[in-house]
Amino acid sequence: MGLAKYIIRRAIYMVPLIIGISLVSFLVMYAAGDPIQLATAGNPSITEAQRQFLREYYGLNDPIPVQYLRWLDHFVHGDFGKSLYGGRPVNEIISSLVWETAKLQLISILLAFFISIPAGVYSAVKQRSAADYTVSSVAIFGISVPVFWFGIVLILVFSYHLGWLPSAGAHGAPYLWPVFGIKNEFLDELAHLVLPVTVLTFANLAYNVRLLRAGMLEVLRQDYILAARASGIPERKVLYKYALKNAITPLLTLLGLSIGAMLAGAPVTETVFSWPGLGRAYVTASLRLDFPLIMGITMIITIMILIANLITDLVYAWVDPRVTID
Amino acid sequence: MNLLEIENLKTYFFTEAGVVKAVDDVTLSVERGCTVGLVGESGSGKSVTAQSVLRIVPRPGKIIGGKILFNGEDLLLKKEEEMRKYRGKKISLIFQDPTSSLNPLFTIGSQLADIVIEHEKVKKEEALDRVIKALRIVKLPDPEHAIYQYPHQFSGGMKQRICIARALLLNPELLFADEPTTNLDVTIQAQIIALLKDLQRELGMTLVMITHDMGIVAEMCKYVVVLYAGNVMESGSIEEIFERPHPYTEALLKAVPRLDETRKLISIPGNIPNLIDPPSGCRFHPRCQYAIDLCKEKKPPLEDVGNSHFISCHRWRELQGGRS
Ligand SMILES: Nc1ncnc2c1ncn2[C@@H]1O[C@H](COP(=O)(O)OP(=O)(O)OP(=O)(O)O)[C@@H](O)[C@H]1O
Ligand code: SF4
Ligand SMILES: [Mg+2]
Repeated sequence: MGLAKYIIRRAIYMVPLIIGISLVSFLVMYAAGDPIQLATAGNPSITEAQRQFLREYYGLNDPIPVQYLRWLDHFVHGDFGKSLYGGRPVNEIISSLVWETAKLQLISILLAFFISIPAGVYSAVKQRSAADYTVSSVAIFGISVPVFWFGIVLILVFSYHLGWLPSAGAHGAPYLWPVFGIKNEFLDELAHLVLPVTVLTFANLAYNVRLLRAGMLEVLRQDYILAARASGIPERKVLYKYALKNAITPLLTLLGLSIGAMLAGAPVTETVFSWPGLGRAYVTASLRLDFPLIMGITMIITIMILIANLITDLVYAWVDPRVTID
Repeated sequence: MNLLEIENLKTYFFTEAGVVKAVDDVTLSVERGCTVGLVGESGSGKSVTAQSVLRIVPRPGKIIGGKILFNGEDLLLKKEEEMRKYRGKKISLIFQDPTSSLNPLFTIGSQLADIVIEHEKVKKEEALDRVIKALRIVKLPDPEHAIYQYPHQFSGGMKQRICIARALLLNPELLFADEPTTNLDVTIQAQIIALLKDLQRELGMTLVMITHDMGIVAEMCKYVVVLYAGNVMESGSIEEIFERPHPYTEALLKAVPRLDETRKLISIPGNIPNLIDPPSGCRFHPRCQYAIDLCKEKKPPLEDVGNSHFISCHRWRELQGGRS
């Protein structure tokens, strides 16, 4: 079956999925409560008539099916509506935040992926050695340590005590410019990335290493590895060419999943580091029941995950000739 | 000088449950240009012996003693990089299961050409030409096309031909065939055996045929080495061994299936012993119908009983008298 045909068919299958997910999110959201009530609860001077006016203004009084169809109509035209808070278009809010989240996540995910390859291979080859136990301990630490705790420790040490790195935001730490000797936007951005990237890489790394180590241990037992050695293939090539390609598929799946879900991102990390990203905005929007923004971010995340899944499947078929796409 | 002389080889596996003495004091020799059978039941140490010669025993296995003289040079004294140059080039190994011994994610051409490239530092095109030649020798149909295919696109018999081609790529002096037909259909088994026989004769290769099938031994081999629980029970010419067998070989011979049946071993009563804590004295004594107290207490040495026949048994001479 042709590749283009396959992709088109998968894309068509995505349509009912996207609609289904949007419908479910819509219903769950409405079950969660009344955003106007929530927004005005702290304001004693507001009258019920004013609340009614706001509900009318945002179309929240219409029957739910009508509201949903209106939302869907806007959605297919690429419009997510306006935030209930401040009235900024959701499209604009998302596009202003998406790059910051993507930057943070992509760097962390790829760093974790590439560091985990030698670490995973090495600890599998040196199974039960001191080096293996070290790698495993670090991995277990990475899995079990809470992200917010680790983030706060890093902030305390590197921002608060040492004053080397900024603790919040993605840009602008003028106090650092004298350190670099120049006013440099790039270095500034880099400095802001260091701590959140460290936290996220560490969290991702742990799973990656364990997955690859387990895969390598399995693959290294196979006859084709022994056969490669018996044929005089140098050990490095046996490991990094013949074994790794067989052991890496679960890691590629994880990579696809992480990249797909990356916009849902890291709300905790973004919150700890006050990162101006989508994850933090998602949490805030959910707490405030900011319907248009919640729906907008949900749909962006959904579409990303579906596309990443498709790409993962294509990569899979490319790596493993036994997998056929159809 | 024999092509291969193994002296007192010990290869143990250091597992969590204990030390598995998989190959324990094995001595054998392989004459150049001959086909030698290495026989014994499952778990007797045949594969580990072959892997030891190539020094590819997987962890937690370790060669802990002995000598492996290949053309008179002790392979156990070679540096790793020097040893690598023997693997696939001077000594090759064919595995039992062709499906699991080919890498599923690489084309036949790329995984075989890599071997030529690693040993001879030639260009990819030249290496592929050599691969095609080898595939033609093993009578794989349409080798020019086959090099672009993946292992799963071939049948079991074809895969084993590919594995044989891989082993023969660089014209090795010594070829170990580790039960190369066990996982194949009966008709295909016969074809592969015929192919190996032809190749051995045409290329003048030295072949060590690992099997637990005495039928194959009778068909192919000039000499036989019989292993049991990591020990050599006997070794000698096929005639000697069939006529004056060691008690264990005798039991094995009784287990030869009739020719029209699948070549599955009818097992000797009792189980192969645990190699972490092997039986004292003669390792075969718990299952031997001739066992006496001495067999339990003292390990019989491997003795030359004439006609280049070596036997490790306390009672063999005495039993010959009774046998007439
Ligand atoms: N990786 C390993 N770890 C632990 N023990 C092992 C390992 N590989 C082999 N052994 C042990 O070594 C002994 C000999 O194994 P070997 O594979 O040489 O037997 P074999 O004679 O080739 O049998 P088969 O006919 O089943 O192939 C067995 O008892 C086995 O348990
Ligand atoms: S030494 Fe004893 S137990 Fe061993 S084979 Fe000979 S007779 Fe049997
Ligand atoms: Mg074996």
